[in-house]
Amino acid sequence: MTAAGLVRPRRPRRRWLLAIEVAVVVLLVVAMWGIAPNWERLAQAPESLVRYGWLMISGLFHNPFEAPWSAHWLAAIGQMLASVAMAWIGTLIAAALSLPLAFLAASNVAPRWVVIPLRQVLNLLRSIPDVLFAIVIFMPLYGLGPLAGALALGIGSVGSLGKLSYEVIEGMAPQTIEAVRATGARPFQVVRWGVLPQVMPEIVAFWLYRFEINIRAGAILGAIGAGGIGSLLKSHFQDRNWDQIGIGLAVVVIITVIVDSISAATRHRIIAGGRVRPDPVAQLS
Amino acid sequence: MTTVAGRPRKPRTAWKVWAWLAVVAGLTVLAGWSIDFTLSPSIRNVDYWLRTILAFITPNWSYFPRIVEPLWVTFSISLVAAAFAALFAIVVAMLASRVTMRIEWVYRLSRWVLAVWRSLPDVVWAMLFVAMVGSGPFAGTLAMIAFGFGIVVKLTAETIDAVDRGPLDAVDASGGTGFQRARVAVVPAILPNFASYALYNFESTVRASVVLGYVGAGGVGTALAVQSKAGNYENVAMIVLATLVLVIVIDALSWLLRRWLSR
Amino acid sequence: MIRFDAVEVRYPNGTVGLDGVTFDIADGEFVVVVGLSGAGKSTLIRAVNGLVPITGGSLVVGGTELRGAPRRRLRELRARVGMIFQSFNLVARTTVMQNVLIGRLSRTGFWRTLFGVAKAEDVERAFRALERVGIVDKAYTRASQLSGGQQQRVAIARVLAQEPEVILADEPVASLDPPTANLVMRDLQRINRELGITTIVNLHFIDLARAYADRVIGMRAGRVVFDGPVAEASDEVFERIYGRSLRAEDVLPGGDE
Repeated sequence: MTAAGLVRPRRPRRRWLLAIEVAVVVLLVVAMWGIAPNWERLAQAPESLVRYGWLMISGLFHNPFEAPWSAHWLAAIGQMLASVAMAWIGTLIAAALSLPLAFLAASNVAPRWVVIPLRQVLNLLRSIPDVLFAIVIFMPLYGLGPLAGALALGIGSVGSLGKLSYEVIEGMAPQTIEAVRATGARPFQVVRWGVLPQVMPEIVAFWLYRFEINIRAGAILGAIGAGGIGSLLKSHFQDRNWDQIGIGLAVVVIITVIVDSISAATRHRIIAGGRVRPDPVAQLS
Repeated sequence: MTTVAGRPRKPRTAWKVWAWLAVVAGLTVLAGWSIDFTLSPSIRNVDYWLRTILAFITPNWSYFPRIVEPLWVTFSISLVAAAFAALFAIVVAMLASRVTMRIEWVYRLSRWVLAVWRSLPDVVWAMLFVAMVGSGPFAGTLAMIAFGFGIVVKLTAETIDAVDRGPLDAVDASGGTGFQRARVAVVPAILPNFASYALYNFESTVRASVVLGYVGAGGVGTALAVQSKAGNYENVAMIVLATLVLVIVIDALSWLLRRWLSR
Repeated sequence: MIRFDAVEVRYPNGTVGLDGVTFDIADGEFVVVVGLSGAGKSTLIRAVNGLVPITGGSLVVGGTELRGAPRRRLRELRARVGMIFQSFNLVARTTVMQNVLIGRLSRTGFWRTLFGVAKAEDVERAFRALERVGIVDKAYTRASQLSGGQQQRVAIARVLAQEPEVILADEPVASLDPPTANLVMRDLQRINRELGITTIVNLHFIDLARAYADRVIGMRAGRVVFDGPVAEASDEVFERIYGRSLRAEDVLPGGDE
């Protein structure tokens, strides 16, 4: 036991941390006041939640196979599938565009004078919400409807997918590339045999993940006129058709969960590799 | 059957993979058809669009003072929503992880409820709350709390799953309760990651709040909706510019904070 | 007082951890449990504070029966039994003081835990515990910044802060270098002699066992194959416990005499 071991230290007081915490709380209070929360409404909220929740659920209790409920269910499912289609096409566009861009933005592939500005462009694209692409570019060009939505989702996702993809490319093991190059392969062959097998599983997994996000993003675009479940729900909400809202929400939940599960399973399969099936030939000998 | 000198046959790609790819390709074509996919806009539209773009690259600066207040409201919505979403999330995340919730059925139920919760897009939450508490930023805040909560809970629960179990044993061995276990051994371990998720959520919320106004949930989105419906693209350009600046500033601050936290 | 009476631990997958273990430990004894990995040392020690539930027989610790004990009774017992681990099990991102205060959790209420505000007398206990192991100057250092030996001493301080009747140590020195291992064992021995706390330690180093134990219990395949004063624990006895001849790895590297 040294002498130093006998001296009790004082509790460190970090004043500046306290000051920051106070500042944040003050900012929060000011912000809350700016939102003008309606405290009476908030107190009533649990009650209205239950009331509206019940109204929505009651829409589900009717036999979905009888008219007019079957029409409502079909309309909801149809629109949801349109949203899924919109998200799918959009993701495909984004995948096709982002892959070459990602190579150009990877510092171990492209020269610095290309990489640096391109990354800024990708960052800019990431910051712009998909809605803006729709409003400014695609809706004026293609009118209302899912096409504009798909294109907006597509361009809107390029930034994010591009960034994730170039990070994967930069994480590549250089040894494999060297080995392929050492065999005298042309650059295209190096990419085909050395680079792609390493990066594609992760990149495709990101594409699928983005697809899941875009399905949800499609609802927003629907609300501004791109069709799909977003516009259907918007009109129901405006008309206060609670039972149809219930049906619509149920459809959203069910189809989203199904697509998410398939996508997640596919992603895991791609990354982890398929199950190794026993070789029937080896078993014979 | 082996051939010369026991060479194995090249395994053929399972027919299942081809079948899946064919299905996917077919669905893609179907999807493209259903949305009337085409890359060539009609001439009339191109003309309209060119005029839009022209209007767009000349933002109306005199419009700026009119959107300062909506911008502040959007920022407030995001800040308050992100804060409350994080608060609720860290509590519920304890229910959604086997590490902190040792009662199996509660854990399973939580995970299931959260999967359903997260399948609802932010706009849907916004429309829901507008219908329930009236339009305006209050509805927008509640919607963003609900949406952000889903995102942060999932990420946090996954972090809790991966936490070092050793200190948990130490708390148990000292006679601590389940709550003490979570508060004393889990929270400090996940705090950096959790803060990072909370900040990421704040960034997403700011972006999402922009749109909320379109469904009546307040903030700068309302002005956006009004102006773009009216075709005043110079004003829309101004709003977009101001919003972009806000988003970029917040992203930068958030990045700095996250760097500082993980030092 | 700890009484094992035909204690059996059978895991859900069928493996037997303890197979009919019977012995008593009187207050204030310093017992070292030895045996190969998988012999049941860890199971034995974790049965004492209920971290491993027993499936047969009876185990009474300080008047509390562990067989079928409900959660609440286990917690009350664990408040009186302290444990240190091979991997120290400190909360890395918090201070030494916070870690030592974990020992007082059983006496800390909900609100104090939530806000992390400890009672003044608990802080005093923590300081005194840290002084006893000689690292009080590190009280407000982050636990992850300490060396292995220092972390284990923090763990011992945590246990001391509990003011327990029994201290359990599950391979406390396996991750430490020989000089530090001896320091830690010496601390444990000193605490046992000065404060009279019953101490049970798992070790797989024979020389450490001989140097510090008063009594040695040898386990093999879940059974007690030796139980006697350390003077009787000769090499032949150890070979019988291990079921093989002694090797270099059974002794601290460097052969600290």
